[in-house]
Amino acid sequence: MTDEFNEEMDIETVKALNVEIKEDTKKFLTFLSDGLTFAVEAGYVSEIITNYTITILPHVPSFIKGIINLRGQIIPIIDIRERMHKPMLENTDSSCIIVLDINSVLIGIFVDTVSHVVDVYESSISAMPPNSSQELVKGMMSLSKEMVILFLDCELLIQEGY
Amino acid sequence: MDNGMENMLDMYLFETNSLLEQLDEVLLEAEKAGTFTTDDVNEIFRIMHTIKGSSAMMEFSSLMTIAHRIEDLFYFIRENTIDSIDEKHKKELFDLMFFSTDMLRAEVEKVENNEPLSSNVDSFVEKVNSFLNKINNKSEEAPAAEASTASENGESSSSAPAAELPKDGSGAFLKIIFDEGCGMENLRAFMVVTAVKDIYENLTFYPPDVETNPETAAVIIEKGFLLGFDTKETLEKAVNIIKNSGNVQSYEVLMPPAAAKTFEKPEAAAEKKEEQPKPEAASPKAAAASAAQHNAAANAMHTGTNKQSLISVNLSKLDKLMALMGELVITESMVTSSPELQGLKLDSFTKSARQLRKLTDELQDTVMSIRMIPVAGAFQKMNRIVRDMGKSLNKDVRLTIIGEDTEVDKTIVDNIADPIMHMVRNSMDHGIEENAEDRVSAGKNPQGEIILSAEHTGSEVVITIQDDGQGVDPAKVLEKARRNGVLTKPESEYTQKEVLALLMAPGFSTNEQVTEYSGRGVGMDVVKKNIEKIGGVVTISSELGKGMCTTMKIPLTMAIVDGMEVSVGKSIFTIPITNIRQSFKISSEEVIYDAQGQEIVKRMDHFYPIIRVHSLYNIDTEITNMEDGILVWVEGGEKSYCLFVDELLGEQQVVVKPLPTYLNAYNIKNSGIAGCTILGDGNISIILDIANLHHSASSYGY
Repeated sequence: MTDEFNEEMDIETVKALNVEIKEDTKKFLTFLSDGLTFAVEAGYVSEIITNYTITILPHVPSFIKGIINLRGQIIPIIDIRERMHKPMLENTDSSCIIVLDINSVLIGIFVDTVSHVVDVYESSISAMPPNSSQELVKGMMSLSKEMVILFLDCELLIQEGY
Repeated sequence: MDNGMENMLDMYLFETNSLLEQLDEVLLEAEKAGTFTTDDVNEIFRIMHTIKGSSAMMEFSSLMTIAHRIEDLFYFIRENTIDSIDEKHKKELFDLMFFSTDMLRAEVEKVENNEPLSSNVDSFVEKVNSFLNKINNKSEEAPAAEASTASENGESSSSAPAAELPKDGSGAFLKIIFDEGCGMENLRAFMVVTAVKDIYENLTFYPPDVETNPETAAVIIEKGFLLGFDTKETLEKAVNIIKNSGNVQSYEVLMPPAAAKTFEKPEAAAEKKEEQPKPEAASPKAAAASAAQHNAAANAMHTGTNKQSLISVNLSKLDKLMALMGELVITESMVTSSPELQGLKLDSFTKSARQLRKLTDELQDTVMSIRMIPVAGAFQKMNRIVRDMGKSLNKDVRLTIIGEDTEVDKTIVDNIADPIMHMVRNSMDHGIEENAEDRVSAGKNPQGEIILSAEHTGSEVVITIQDDGQGVDPAKVLEKARRNGVLTKPESEYTQKEVLALLMAPGFSTNEQVTEYSGRGVGMDVVKKNIEKIGGVVTISSELGKGMCTTMKIPLTMAIVDGMEVSVGKSIFTIPITNIRQSFKISSEEVIYDAQGQEIVKRMDHFYPIIRVHSLYNIDTEITNMEDGILVWVEGGEKSYCLFVDELLGEQQVVVKPLPTYLNAYNIKNSGIAGCTILGDGNISIILDIANLHHSASSYGY
């Protein structure tokens, strides 16, 4: 499913953004959360699921929505909005879970909606401004006039769990 | 998939470790008896031989050398029977053997950890050699004396040997020339002597002081090394040995001219003579030999059948099998309780489903039993600890083992070994009195006793470590606890049980001094943690002056539990059946409130607190009225209380899945959650940890 999805998005991206695929670009999956566009490296993305039942866990920080059963595997789900201290959003039709495989630790992130896959030159990613209080983001890039992509630091995402 | 060499290494380690364990057992048994039986000697010889062989194959030379030397030593003992060694030497032999098993074990450990092996084991070889020499000389003295008299009687006719040959009455000489420049000729010569002596004790050799005098090396290089024999048979045997020894360039049989004739002729006489002086020695030897043969045959039979019925399997494969088994159980209930079947009358389906259920149950039991191994392995190691500590602390203690055949899951055996060892050490160090007199004056047997027992009780295995030492002094414990600041209420309010529980508080150790074995202050709490990690419970009971008893209750297996599914709001929880005592409905009038507003219910003349799961876990539910829900009376880890839940959904076997490691940071285990499981419909149910839940409830101000 992921592959199809990616391919589809690729074509769209190329058409819509007129970004040419060059060899030394990296693929990133972008998603929306509270009006902001975030991106995760496509290599970390294991799949995107929309049909799920989250089992809530007691006595955990509120950003941990719970656990899901993904074909026999138990995966913790983090709400990116809450993690970034944003207001919680009721489940909508477009909200979904991106399952990330970060160094073989599986974790699901709950996002408002998945947008598309973009190809980005790594050199074009600029560092965060030094006094930025934005958590879990390792860089940013402006894609067009209105659009800024924040790059999620996946390693940091799982590290804090330990 | 598997690397061939890795596999071999695994096999080697497995085999060598089990052999070493076996060896330890034999040694301990033998030491208890004070001597080696012929069987023991054969057994040790066989073990060493195997270790030597496989180590050589794996090219672990240090292991090979050590095993080889011990094999030599036991070859000697086997040939001469154990009776040829006197008491003093026996003691030395035991120490030497324990030392050598430790050495072997250390080397094996290095192999396991991928560390380089010791390249130098000379000091050990030296040790064995000197010991071998000692006992050799000892057994030599008597027969040598006899032989010399014998030779006077029997071989009076032998005339003076040729000028270059020593005059000692030997009928023939063997001159050995070693390889040029091989070095240490005297020691090589001595090795030849040792080898030949195995078959011929009355051996004489020149120069006679090869072992102690390095200068003889020069003499050997120049003139060769002479061995004296008096029968042709032994000479021939010796030649065979020498042919196979290393560094021998050439050998030559020399006969004193006059003796040549007599040497050929009085063979019969010589043989007679051999028998004559030591018939007692000969007959046990024969008996030993036949016993050895018998034993070897038995062993061969034994290993033969073993090979056919036993295979060793990598544990990871078993884990995989177990995981698949779990999936199968889940899938099976998924199929049979599929919502699409609801309301349909399917006779043959139900029949087949029942059959399937039966088969999966059976399969599950079989898979579980594969992982079951007796606790004997973990228990037997304690023998050694008791022995070693007894020696170094100078305490006479007997270890009694009961129920070592009790079988538990492999992972559990691995996890209880350390706690048991810790408790045994504790008992040895602090439990058993320093002096035997103290024990006698307390009216006890001067010999201390530690009882290690294991038994099944339904779904649990109970392991107890009991000593008859001085027991725990509550006053001392309290004092120490006060000093360490572990006390949470006035001392006088502590009950005996609570005092003993203090022993397991982190960083608590009653012993003033840190000894080699215990008292580092990281003791009982580690034991407790380890046991709790595998779902067990530790309790201590003790009476001052009478000893102490530690009881560990551990579930047989952790992977699959019988659980009761309960619902609270939209969540489903699993309560392990073993923790449930009863479930019942009550009316609001039956609820009693204490000063804090805590709900309490009276059941069977006792009062139990009620914990509302929905409010503890902040779950929205419509059922908050006592009458609408149901109470489940649970018991776990000394705690007994009632859980208030919405309704019981039914009993089900569930496969325990650990929670994602990511969540470990949030201390989820302490909120009374043991893990989770996947239900037949794919939903997740959270398995409650009854012992921890109570703790969690009290810490959340419930």
